Amino acid sequence: MHNFLNRYTLKAAGESGQGVNSVGEILAKSLKESGLYTFGYREYPSLIRGGYACHQIDISDQPLTAPSAMTDFLICMSRVSFHVYLPTVRAGGIVIHNLRQLQLTEAEQQLVVDRQLQLAYLPAETMAIETGGKSVMSNVILIGVLWQLLSLDLEPVKAVLRHEFARKPEFIEPNLACLDRGFTEVVPGVAKIKLPFTLVPVREADALLTGNALLALAAVAAGVRAYYAYPMTPSSSILSYLSNAYQETGMLVKQVEDEISVAQMAIGSMYVGTRALVATSGGGFDLMTESVTMAAMTETPFVCILGQRPGPATGLPTWTAAGDLNVAVYAGHGEYARCVVALSDPESAYTILQKAFNLAEKFQTVVIVLTEKEIAESLFQMSELPANEPIERGLVPADQIEALVSSDRYKITDSGVSPRWLPGQSDAVFDANSDEHTPDGSLTEEAEPTKQMYDKRLRKQVSMEAELPDPVVWGPTQASLSFVGWGSPKNTLLDVMKEWNAAHPEKTFNYLHYEYIYPLRIAAFMKFVEASQRVVLIENNALGQLGALITQHTGYLFTERFLKYDGRPFFVEDIIEYLERT
Amino acid sequence: MHTCDSCQHQITTFADYFSNNLYTWCTNCGNYGIHAAVKRALTAENRHACETLLCFDIGCHGNGSDKIGGYRFHGLHGRILPFACGASVANRNLTVMAFGGDGGTLGEGINHLIHAIRGNYNVTFILHNNLNYGLTQGQASSTTKPGMIMTAAPDGITSDPIHPMRFVLSLQPSFAARTFSGDVKHMTETIRAGVRHQGFSFIEILQSCPTYNKATPHEWYQSRVKDVSTLAGYEPSNIAAAREISEDIENQIAIGVLYQNPSSRPFMERQANRQQVTTELINEVAMGDTSKLFDAYR
Repeated sequence: MHNFLNRYTLKAAGESGQGVNSVGEILAKSLKESGLYTFGYREYPSLIRGGYACHQIDISDQPLTAPSAMTDFLICMSRVSFHVYLPTVRAGGIVIHNLRQLQLTEAEQQLVVDRQLQLAYLPAETMAIETGGKSVMSNVILIGVLWQLLSLDLEPVKAVLRHEFARKPEFIEPNLACLDRGFTEVVPGVAKIKLPFTLVPVREADALLTGNALLALAAVAAGVRAYYAYPMTPSSSILSYLSNAYQETGMLVKQVEDEISVAQMAIGSMYVGTRALVATSGGGFDLMTESVTMAAMTETPFVCILGQRPGPATGLPTWTAAGDLNVAVYAGHGEYARCVVALSDPESAYTILQKAFNLAEKFQTVVIVLTEKEIAESLFQMSELPANEPIERGLVPADQIEALVSSDRYKITDSGVSPRWLPGQSDAVFDANSDEHTPDGSLTEEAEPTKQMYDKRLRKQVSMEAELPDPVVWGPTQASLSFVGWGSPKNTLLDVMKEWNAAHPEKTFNYLHYEYIYPLRIAAFMKFVEASQRVVLIENNALGQLGALITQHTGYLFTERFLKYDGRPFFVEDIIEYLERT
Repeated sequence: MHTCDSCQHQITTFADYFSNNLYTWCTNCGNYGIHAAVKRALTAENRHACETLLCFDIGCHGNGSDKIGGYRFHGLHGRILPFACGASVANRNLTVMAFGGDGGTLGEGINHLIHAIRGNYNVTFILHNNLNYGLTQGQASSTTKPGMIMTAAPDGITSDPIHPMRFVLSLQPSFAARTFSGDVKHMTETIRAGVRHQGFSFIEILQSCPTYNKATPHEWYQSRVKDVSTLAGYEPSNIAAAREISEDIENQIAIGVLYQNPSSRPFMERQANRQQVTTELINEVAMGDTSKLFDAYR
């Protein structure tokens, strides 16, 4: 077991289609109900059958928001996943598998010796059938074995299984029998573990949910009444969450034929006055970009969730990255005011999307909400939702509708924001024109009116920047190393920070996190780097895109950059190794 | 239901759709007649300008977006249908019309036409079919006849054309009509029927283009059209009959309401979770209760 981080790591691995994810969810839920903090991390291929997949649960008696690279306890259900994940087992770790006549390579045999791993084979499928279950219940046999070796109470798992199979009650008893069988089976050559954590029953009431589930909840809180999407990992599950809840919410949830139509339908719905949301990934967003400029030109609010995965093109469809900041900041032809925000953790997922709608409506423009596969599909533990954001629509108040004239709609103003009202509200009708236009939307190609309208739209960028929150400093004011970044690296840094800084008072670190990225606010950044001894840019991409944006706006050059772009998130070990090495 | 807070009159007049902006189309362009017919149809159906949303694609017709009244949206080339569909579902009190040319609709945005028909959104769509790209100066469109010498095709078009009505009727639409830009009265009646129809109304307007399409001026159409309502026994609910009669676009061209599904259910009426809801999506923007949804994850 790792002797520095206050966490223990379990991994269920197999091939796609073996139910790895549901095993992981049962584990996470049962561990949470046992009184622990959990964090669930998924790796899986873009396949329906085969390949290798895992659901890894980190547990602790402290809150966790980021994954480990290494595992203490590996449950393996397929040969490919065994060979892939064996090297991720920490020294002294345990590997339980159901792979008959498994052959280890020479290197693997050496690794087992070097790390003093404890391997055990259990014929879990045979055991499941002997116990009166089906072969798929071998998963539950293995969970029973795990529980036995962790010396945990079986009741929380039983409760989770009962709940899991509530709609198929005939499966409850065989599953519970398999669980007991695994719990009591003698596992030769493997010593029991005593977890060094205090169990706190209050954790039972915590919720376990993904970043995408939180975005779906945030959409409900923000008053979104129409959701349009075309399936694309890692954003597809938002469509599932909202369609599963659509009877309760009454929301229109529509899978549309392509991302261009997704964006256009949303802009149509927003134009007439409801709140509509879309979510996609890089390729889908590329298709949307022309429509994004249309929203900007017609000053129609538009909010898009851009769930990042490695590109270009199809890239690594089911893995993580944060390489689409540039496409968000520079999306589309022409020049226009826009806002780019990036979430990192469950709280920010819930809050930022609500704020994004307020910004989009108030400034009548495009807001792009960046997330990452790592945030979208990881399983976070939360006790409560943050408070809802009050809805701000920026529409002309009812008592001022009567005085409107058509040329108020795109009136030249100092802030760049003009009065916005809705079709059907007033006989002051207007044209929302994607051609350059005069204040009532009439087409113009004249130089002076063009410049006036162009400037008006761009002034919104300045007005918006003045209202956005500053980037936030995490950790001590003074530290020997100062990271600057955005997105999910925050979670890994914060998971490491408290313990590292306490153990290394001579080598502490702090972190400046950008949540509201564009328009870029620079004052807090300049103050931060001036007070820093050593600044390190940390990003889940190869070009250091936030760094380049900051350099463009401030002239500040990042001499040290910690960049990762292999489809994997920053693991806690990555940060520790970096701190130790440098 | 009349929702506008500020307009006083209850009867729509032709003047309500007036615009001060000057037209910029060629002399004898079919768009003049089409605009007149749209205004006449909306007036005759008493659709208030403040509750009408006219959505324009990019093309010669789209340059008329600021030359007519009502709320308007002038979108992107080929993309006006999903915009109009998204608008129509959010506020069913609006009369939503969309306009596109044969270029944008049957070239760049042809997929949108397919899915607008499938969804049966309550939108009246006018296809301005003048057999070429006018605004970009006379290139071929998907409906240009083979062999025609066009800009960028000095030896004539080599691809086979799309027959718009054959294509649309193959998709089982709920309303399909054809008219031509030389007959304002016939266009007016056809558009009125489309506006009244609950669901997606596809109206192909055979349109003259005096500048780039000399082959089929108004006179050419005038001498060939035949209104199906004058045919004894023509039954617009029979799609097989519509398919048969709409085939000929060279000699005797059928116009009028070719097909209408009398039991058409528009998009929003098909939504299982909206059956008991009486409000519109635009009236429902309020902070939603997430506590129960969150509790399900505990």
